[in-house]
Amino acid sequence: MTLDPPSTVSTTSRRGTATAATRVLGVLTIVMIGWLGVFGLLLSPADRDQGDAVRIMYVHVPSVWLAYLAFIVTALASAVHLFGKSHSMQADRVAGASAEIGVVFMAVTLVTGMLWGRITWGVYWQWDARLTTTALLFISYIGYLAVRGLEGSRSQRARRSAIVGLLAVLEVPLVHWSVRLWRSLHQEATVLGTDLDVSLDGLMLFSLFVGVVAFTLLFLWLLLHRSRVLTMIDLSAETGLDAALAQRRAEGGVTA
Amino acid sequence: MSTPDLTPRPEQTPKRQRRRIMPMVVLALVVVAGGVVITQALSTAVDYYCNVDEVGERSGCDTGRRLRIQGTVGEGTVVVATGATLFDIRFNGASVKVEYAGEPGGIFKECLPVVVHGVFDESSGMFLGDRVEVKHSEDYVAVNDNRLEEAEADSAACDSSA
Repeated sequence: MTLDPPSTVSTTSRRGTATAATRVLGVLTIVMIGWLGVFGLLLSPADRDQGDAVRIMYVHVPSVWLAYLAFIVTALASAVHLFGKSHSMQADRVAGASAEIGVVFMAVTLVTGMLWGRITWGVYWQWDARLTTTALLFISYIGYLAVRGLEGSRSQRARRSAIVGLLAVLEVPLVHWSVRLWRSLHQEATVLGTDLDVSLDGLMLFSLFVGVVAFTLLFLWLLLHRSRVLTMIDLSAETGLDAALAQRRAEGGVTA
Repeated sequence: MSTPDLTPRPEQTPKRQRRRIMPMVVLALVVVAGGVVITQALSTAVDYYCNVDEVGERSGCDTGRRLRIQGTVGEGTVVVATGATLFDIRFNGASVKVEYAGEPGGIFKECLPVVVHGVFDESSGMFLGDRVEVKHSEDYVAVNDNRLEEAEADSAACDSSA
């Protein structure tokens, strides 16, 4: 599946960034999100201590998984751009698109976590290790997006942001293991802990699995579309530059 | 006027690669060093709470200062008085009596771990809490799953932390 926009796409095309493959992926994503709604809201049981508040988990955990995944994809694409022989600009666009998606879903993680915290802990926020490092990760990737927007040539910006993307991803394991490294109000990992012992009711675990699959498909769908949009923006900028040069040459009586 | 030397200059690719990689190595070292510093700082200064059995024993858990104490709410110890809630929190065989001004929020109940913010009353030895946070564990159990062995395990979990 290519990340380039469909070959028939031009600035005047109405087809947008969709292909047959992304349409199939989109339908699969919608179906899985529908299943997530059915399992998360109807079929999975309430928790003995938390009651129905546990259902927030089916959005909170998949969204943080998606954010981690997005930031790792950003780092891998950044490495391809930085260390690859061709310094692929397509890899840079994938890195940027993935970081944008990651930031959005990290925001979802923070908001759902605050709501869940208010219900179970009794407070929206505390500066414990997990919440603090998560906030730091969120801010770091906002910084990454800011770096992408700095002045400079297209290749300069791509190189700079690739370096930041490779450094910022080091925070991901720090956030994940913060509940083991320090004493935290946040619970320890239920699924991806060190002992691999899953302390989760069977139907809750399955609902969580449906959520992770749904959000992973959503990530792929968003990544493909956003990467293609960024490609089209770059093409548009180049087309605009060519047009400006042609106009300038015409003014000076020079034939291209 | 002499003829300019138009011989192509030798390739300098290896030197350029060194230039690009060196700042990365330096930055990576800075980040690792920064991570070690932050880790140390968090370990010593930002541990979120003291366990009940560490009060007065561990550095930073002195009774003469404001504390955040973590322990499990003792079974049968919760008493709701006028404008206050009294309960014990227990951990590792130690116990602290807590007086919280108000009704704890969240999913507060017996046998669940909590973190209480407050100070000790030197005269009564009571811990005067002004904030209670329920520290939910990583275990999730269906509300209608009342099989005998799980009920027994729940009871044991409350006892073992006391």
